Amino acid sequence: MSKQLAIIPERCSGCKTCELVCSISHFNVTNPKKAAVRVMVVYPHPIVRMPIICSQCRIPKCADGCPVNAITRKNGTVEIDKDTCISCLKCLESCPFGAIFIHDDVEYPFKCDLCGGDPECVKACPKNAILFIPEHVLGQAQRINNVLSYSHMKEIEYFEKGEKKQIRYAEIGKEDV
Amino acid sequence: MNKVKGGYFHKLLKVDLSSKTWEVEPLSDDFISKYIGGRGFGAKWVWDNLKAHNFKIDPLGEENLLVMAPGPFTGLYLPSSGKTSFISISPATGIYGDSSMGGVFGVEFRQTGFDALSLKGKAPELSFLFIDDGDVSIVPAPELAGKGSLETEGLIKQRIGDLTVHVAVIGPAGENRVAFACVNTDFGRNAGRTGVGAILGSKNLKAIVVRGSKDLPVYDLKKLNLETNKAITYLRNHKFFKFWQEQGLMCVIDYANNMGILPTHNFRDGSFARVNSINGFTMESKYKIGDAACFACPMACSNICLVKEGKYAGTVVEGPEYESCAMLGSNLGIDNFAAVLRANHLCDELGMDTITVGNLIGVLIEGYETGLISLKDIEGEPLTWGDDEKVMRVIEKIARREGVGDILAGGSRKVIETWPQLSPIISQVKGLEQSAYDCRAAISMALGYATSDIGAHHTRAWTIAKELEDGRDWSLEEKAKLVIFHQTIRPLFDMFGVCRLPWIELGLNENHYAAFFSAVTGLDYSLDELMARSRDIYDLTRLINVKLGISRKDDQPPLRWFKDPVQTGPLAGKVLKREEFNTILDIYYQLRNWDAEGKPNPEIEKNFN
Repeated sequence: MSKQLAIIPERCSGCKTCELVCSISHFNVTNPKKAAVRVMVVYPHPIVRMPIICSQCRIPKCADGCPVNAITRKNGTVEIDKDTCISCLKCLESCPFGAIFIHDDVEYPFKCDLCGGDPECVKACPKNAILFIPEHVLGQAQRINNVLSYSHMKEIEYFEKGEKKQIRYAEIGKEDV
Repeated sequence: MNKVKGGYFHKLLKVDLSSKTWEVEPLSDDFISKYIGGRGFGAKWVWDNLKAHNFKIDPLGEENLLVMAPGPFTGLYLPSSGKTSFISISPATGIYGDSSMGGVFGVEFRQTGFDALSLKGKAPELSFLFIDDGDVSIVPAPELAGKGSLETEGLIKQRIGDLTVHVAVIGPAGENRVAFACVNTDFGRNAGRTGVGAILGSKNLKAIVVRGSKDLPVYDLKKLNLETNKAITYLRNHKFFKFWQEQGLMCVIDYANNMGILPTHNFRDGSFARVNSINGFTMESKYKIGDAACFACPMACSNICLVKEGKYAGTVVEGPEYESCAMLGSNLGIDNFAAVLRANHLCDELGMDTITVGNLIGVLIEGYETGLISLKDIEGEPLTWGDDEKVMRVIEKIARREGVGDILAGGSRKVIETWPQLSPIISQVKGLEQSAYDCRAAISMALGYATSDIGAHHTRAWTIAKELEDGRDWSLEEKAKLVIFHQTIRPLFDMFGVCRLPWIELGLNENHYAAFFSAVTGLDYSLDELMARSRDIYDLTRLINVKLGISRKDDQPPLRWFKDPVQTGPLAGKVLKREEFNTILDIYYQLRNWDAEGKPNPEIEKNFN
């Protein structure tokens, strides 16, 4: 089953642990500037924080922008082939998410490779703001919210072992379209 | 010979703002293994500079040295490694002063390839210092004069054209040399205490901007990862981990109120009747819109709050944390959390320490209420508890040094000089206003405040919870020992460049830090050896203070603790006893090997030459 990274910015605290573990696992150094994920913070009020990371697009814009066809999607990850890449950095600009990076010490641009299927950032995030989930689960929260906000929904409250609970239902025979 | 195999670049960046020159001084293995980093480095260089000036230094003069130093752990993969310290001679107290801040600034600074920065002199015009991966420039920026901290940080990012540079900045209060001006970074994190912002102001330096890309040196990364994963697993499984993320330091409001130690009405009382309107649950349910953490911190103790309606709508604050909320809330009788947020935001933007601001305005209100100062003294505008709009006006006046604000801007030393009659109601030690723990029933905490090397701040010792929870019938000697233990281990975190909260709040074992240290540096120090280094630094800061005139007479808790009993709450009626305090101070000096006047043995001076 194909899995995808999903980001929940409301949870992100901006601690950059994802950047740290990414640089350690890919370059064996402590250097957030060598991470394939970057936490961006809006300003002047640091209200929203969001890790930016490759979505492994099925139709990658970065590949479109690559003049030498070094970028391809294989087995669910978008890869840059170092033998073909000329490091012109066009992909940094053509990615709509800005999820490809470069560093002075590194010859070629680098991006998320999903750590071979077990992403370190997901495991290290103390806020569970980065998830690695089956692709078909994406959008499920919206789907269920859509059901619960159906306008004919009714709600009753009841008590179970002294605890207040709720049940939602829709009444049969009251449908009007 | 101690071979340092990692953790350092072995480089100090020395900048002379007067001549607009800079040089790089190599740091030897011997120096590093003795002083470790952070406040350890800073205390040594401040001491050297004092000696070079015959112990006569104007804190706001060109000759005063300001050191900015993260530590060997800053930026590494270990819990809460985002700390950096500012160290100098304080304009608030005239003695040794330091203050630390979190965020990402120290990490980014280390990535420029330096271990520390020292600043002296004065720039010919308002400027910012830009350290760009080893390139250093002093950039004139007169257009930033009078601009707020948060606004300036945004303007500098735009001017450089890179939103990811990190900026440490002062507000108008720092430019106006307010004695308790702070340094702000990441839109709302502050090195708040001892007036380090005023020192930057006196050097005409509006900001320090850093951008770095270097790998941080670690001796054994594999071993460090192993140790860190153990520590993080412990923290994430702690029963209060999630609660901590939800409320952060705001959970202390209810705790302090229940214990009877929440500063209320200028420390007259230890509990606040309307505490529910300013506690962590109110914050969480009505104002909190996100969590914020310093670099590599799983605990995320900071909250992002937004006021959504009412006269303060649109106010955004990273915070408030406990101290700010107590000092700007219950201590001023304010029960409107939106007003607390507004006051906190103003202090951030103007660049002032929330603890001191809350303290001094409380003194002003009580002084007026009890007739110690007149309506004329406060410019004809009556001040009462809970009057949030007037409080906002006074905060603005302090930062801009207008009217009564000009007196408060000098800190408690200036207030006492102007109105000596207020002296009994000001809670301060050595000129530094007290942070938010009432210690009339906790003599160890009173001792901690009285003997802290920077003045009445809990950064050096926070023994109050332990004493009130399980140490009521301890001997004075046990209490004095606990204070010294705190004064040794807590500064050690400032030397490493990490936050102490995983240790103090979630009980992360201190031996983890010795393991981190050997993995990072290759130096095989036990925790005891590291503690001995920290204890040496405490002797050094004491030596600095003694040379600047500090003695037993200054190691005294605020007068109020002896005179005015707590009015309500579980500790009602409690008051410190003078005799008992004198006894514990004697014991403390003996344990520290200082004489009856609090002077260290003159022999130890040789250690630091």
